[in-house]
Amino acid sequence: MKTASELTDFYYKTLYPTLNKLEKDRKQLKHRIFIVGIIYTLTIFLVIVSLKNIFFQNLDALIFIAIAYVGIGAFIYRMLIKDYTSEFKEKIIKPLISELDSNLNYTSKQHVPQHLFENAKLFTSEIDRLNGNDFVNGEIDEVKIQFSDIHAEKRTKSADDKESWSTIFKGLFIVAEFNKHFNAHTVILPDSAQSNFGDLIGSWLQSNNSNRDELVKMDSPEFEKEFVVYSSDQIEARYILSHSLMKRLLSFKNKSKHPVYISFVGESIHMAIEYNKDLFEPSVFRSLLEYKIAMEYVQTLHLAIGIIDELKLNEKLWSKQ
Amino acid sequence: MPISLIILGVIALVLLLMYNSLVSKKNQVKNIFASVDTQLKKRYDLIPNLVATVSKYMEHEKSLLNEVTQLRADANKPNISQHDKIALDAKVSSALGSIMVAVENYPDLKANENVMHLQASLNEIEEQISAARRSYNQAVTDYNNALEMIPTNFMAKAMNYSKKDVFEISNVERQNINVKELFN
Repeated sequence: MKTASELTDFYYKTLYPTLNKLEKDRKQLKHRIFIVGIIYTLTIFLVIVSLKNIFFQNLDALIFIAIAYVGIGAFIYRMLIKDYTSEFKEKIIKPLISELDSNLNYTSKQHVPQHLFENAKLFTSEIDRLNGNDFVNGEIDEVKIQFSDIHAEKRTKSADDKESWSTIFKGLFIVAEFNKHFNAHTVILPDSAQSNFGDLIGSWLQSNNSNRDELVKMDSPEFEKEFVVYSSDQIEARYILSHSLMKRLLSFKNKSKHPVYISFVGESIHMAIEYNKDLFEPSVFRSLLEYKIAMEYVQTLHLAIGIIDELKLNEKLWSKQ
Repeated sequence: MPISLIILGVIALVLLLMYNSLVSKKNQVKNIFASVDTQLKKRYDLIPNLVATVSKYMEHEKSLLNEVTQLRADANKPNISQHDKIALDAKVSSALGSIMVAVENYPDLKANENVMHLQASLNEIEEQISAARRSYNQAVTDYNNALEMIPTNFMAKAMNYSKKDVFEISNVERQNINVKELFN
């Protein structure tokens, strides 16, 4: 697997001509969005002005128009950037992934199957709607891996029977074959209780979480500070979480700079990194050549695919060969 | 009158909760030790096969092989205490470690399929034993904490509970074993 700096080189050197062309498209797109935006806003404004009698009596109608303005505006925006986005994913993201490892496939409109996300049991809420894109799958060093963007939401009905959607999880979801056999279900969550309420109360809160399996107190203070572990089997949880794996998971979390949820179920490790945004989307208002923007793509891809090496999933030292 | 009954009731409830929590912790320790025992036994069962396979080649390590065979015999004696089991585990770990290190010096042995299979099995069992030991140590720590912390320490004294041992690696075993020194 290539290093992050080799990938950066590839981005700026090999992909440079494509990036330039896309930059031209991007600038045209920005212009187009600006003009369409102005025309759209003016239209809505005219509508409000011409129907002002209705609006001065009815505040609800004004709120309705505001929501419609945002909703239709988002729709128009998505339509405008559609072609540019698929160009970008096909011409930039796909080659970046092949460059990382030729054994990987990329499908921009697919995502990791919903049942895999649900089986991981990382989140206790029931999922009412699941979307995703940028699906990558393949085998590296004889370890099967797949990942994609996932946006999971649940429907809530507010007091006046209005439906609204809230996000359960938005970010990167990775599934990879794990190098040990296990039967139980072990879940590792970011530790909010201990960091918010201190050790004593935090641990009490953690052990009384009825939604989860038994609490497993790990024998590494640094790990305990960052994560809380629940499992259906105390011994298997520690069989999976050797001291070396705990160290690697900690360093992975620090590298990703976002909350990480991990679960071991079936034959695989599942990781959900909460970025709270759609990843691998082309920047519209900033240049594609800007270092920070480029690094976002390169580093996220490298982080996701790198878990095989980072967590040494390719080391088959135990009974699973 | 009713108020004092309520207070009595609350005190009784608290005492009950403390009693139950101590019993639950004691049983957790017993439960997990049983799992540790099972894993230890699996490792002891590997020993005859290992000794038989390597003794033909490893002329210089006879004393080491005899030691590990003796340790297995000791472990199989009926009615040994938990304390002794824990002590034996430490000795067997270090002896097996030395044998596997010595195997590295015999290319014929290293390539032997039976040996490779044994190595993989040993690795797997060591990993399981390590997990079981760590779980046991956590259960014992929870139990010992309850024995020492207020208010459960009063209840524990009344119930005659005593502290339990954890699995420790003594300082002698912690030092890197010089393989050559062992075979003289």
